[in-house]
Amino acid sequence: MSPAAEVESEFCSVCLGILQFKWRDDKETLVKKESPNDMTELIAETVKQEGHQIDSFSLEVSVPQAILENELAILSDMKSKYGSELWFQEKSRSEPISVKDALKFSIVKPLESLLGIKSSIDSFRIRLTYTSTKASKMVQNSRGRIKDCKRQKTDTNNGLHSINDESIVAGAECSDQSNIETNAAAVRPSNGLQACDAFECLGFSIEKVNEPCHLELQCYRTPIYLGGRYLKFSRSVSQTCWIIGEERMGEASVEEIIGSNILPMCKGDNYKFHAAGREDIDVRMLGSGRPFLVEIQNARQIPSEAIVKEIETRINGLENKLVGVKNLKVVGSEGWTLMREGESEKQKQYAAVVWISRPLDDEDLKTISSLKDMQIMQKTPIRVLHRRSPLEREKLIHWMKIERIAGSSQYFLLYLCTQAGTYIKEFVHGDLGRTHPSVGSILGCRAEIMQLDVTDVKMDCFLTG
Amino acid sequence: MSELHNIIDQTNSSTQETTVPDNSEHQQQEPVRENEDDGEHELHKLLLPDVHHLPFTPPSAVESNFVSYFAPDFMKPGHDQYVYRHANGLCVIGLASTHVAFKDKGGITAVDFNVGKSDRSGIKVTGKRKKNAQHFESNTALCKVCTSDASYIVRCCVKGSLLEVNDRLVKQPELLNSSAEREGYIAIIMPKPADWLKVKASLLGLEEYKKLRSLC
Repeated sequence: MSPAAEVESEFCSVCLGILQFKWRDDKETLVKKESPNDMTELIAETVKQEGHQIDSFSLEVSVPQAILENELAILSDMKSKYGSELWFQEKSRSEPISVKDALKFSIVKPLESLLGIKSSIDSFRIRLTYTSTKASKMVQNSRGRIKDCKRQKTDTNNGLHSINDESIVAGAECSDQSNIETNAAAVRPSNGLQACDAFECLGFSIEKVNEPCHLELQCYRTPIYLGGRYLKFSRSVSQTCWIIGEERMGEASVEEIIGSNILPMCKGDNYKFHAAGREDIDVRMLGSGRPFLVEIQNARQIPSEAIVKEIETRINGLENKLVGVKNLKVVGSEGWTLMREGESEKQKQYAAVVWISRPLDDEDLKTISSLKDMQIMQKTPIRVLHRRSPLEREKLIHWMKIERIAGSSQYFLLYLCTQAGTYIKEFVHGDLGRTHPSVGSILGCRAEIMQLDVTDVKMDCFLTG
Repeated sequence: MSELHNIIDQTNSSTQETTVPDNSEHQQQEPVRENEDDGEHELHKLLLPDVHHLPFTPPSAVESNFVSYFAPDFMKPGHDQYVYRHANGLCVIGLASTHVAFKDKGGITAVDFNVGKSDRSGIKVTGKRKKNAQHFESNTALCKVCTSDASYIVRCCVKGSLLEVNDRLVKQPELLNSSAEREGYIAIIMPKPADWLKVKASLLGLEEYKKLRSLC
């Protein structure tokens, strides 16, 4: 026995206090629990404080890299001592239980009974993150068979010995932790004993520890989603919150009106708004509406169908009638794919009030109606050229129709159906000739757009409540 | 477009109480169709503007979206150019209607971007950050416009990065004669904010320019 091993440490050198239910909490206080039940009481307290409404929970534990190495070291040592013995060979047919699994086994059942719910795969997560101040020793071993070890440090230590009986060898200085993540993948044992073989030549040792792990306990729900379609009745409401410096542009935003009505009903931490495309602040979104998703982070409760209906009614009943919502419902992760799928292929329908520099005649109506799947070239509009790449994009105008406006010879309603991504305003006025053909060039005169409305976003998602 | 919306929407306000059509829960064919027709009818009411509130001649896209500035006699007498500045900072450069070139018989017959050290129409600017854009001074030459009598140099007027030249002018120089203030623009330049402030001081606004050139 080497002299360094004589002083006993209260913390296990292999599990670093984890299976002893000893840790340092986020206030750096040393916590010692007598049994798994005591620990689960603490966890249950935290869960109740957070106030989540839950039917089940998913328990996740993460342990520091050093423990994985310690496990392999022990296995390796045992294999070298008892590898030839029958009892060892019989035992080694089954997977050894890792520190992580042992912890989980010991607290899951008590936790289930304390919380009154079962453990399963769930959006509500209870996460125990153990971290160690001791660096992974992977960094120091440059002669291993480990791949992915990109940044090799030169051997700065001189105390590393190979495993010798059960002696605990005085540890060497650990250098930085920088390579822990790159090496983690390499050392993760898919099969304990096989990894052990690869491990042998690395010659790790287990040393005594004076500090337990640091434990961070979190309980949270993974994001939930509410999807639907929105309508925008106002020409001074932007889709997303638009603030330049300190000044808000526009009166309000669709994002904030919808998000702020959903968040409190879910008692979430915050929300994110996602939509399938967008329209300018001065363009209304009418007709079938535009698909959107609101992502709620760490919702304390998942709203029922009745509550969702209430949210929809409340938004539609707002006095200023800036925004409307249809088919609002809680959706799973399929909501994402539904929205993104074919977003760029989908067609959009519009209605524009157009003025031309000469009176409209019947020929014009025929000319416009006859154009089907007409290709246009659009250079990046000047109004967005400061923040987008200068490109020339091919777009399709699927069909158009002119409707005369009673009482005017030069104003008319233009209905059009175009490929996603077409700049409609520029298609009407021509953007100094940078979009061609344009309504003006087709009719042989100057054309200006007075107002624009989106009347249909042709997508399959969120068509029903 | 924006200034007129208040007018148009006031007229539409009577139809804004329209609720979203509810197509659920209808068993028979007839009521469903009626509902859809109602929906379309309501939508149509929203779309139609009130003619009485539409201006006889609306402002053009340029007038609505840009502020017009002018550089009269830029470096040479009679060389009047315009600078249309967008709210996003980009400047469209072109020949003002009072430019001497338009006084020559037959107007402008050719445009050549191959001036100075390079052919301005050959530069390809790419990406959001506008890589490869050349940085020019306000007196850097953009192109040469020719008439039957003479040729005139058109300059940047604004110090900044050249994003684009109107290369349509090479094949269609007549665009300058018909619409120099729109399809006949010369180039688009992106000045730095500080450079714009410096040059702005030396440019004339629309009213001052009109007075100077005695335009009504």
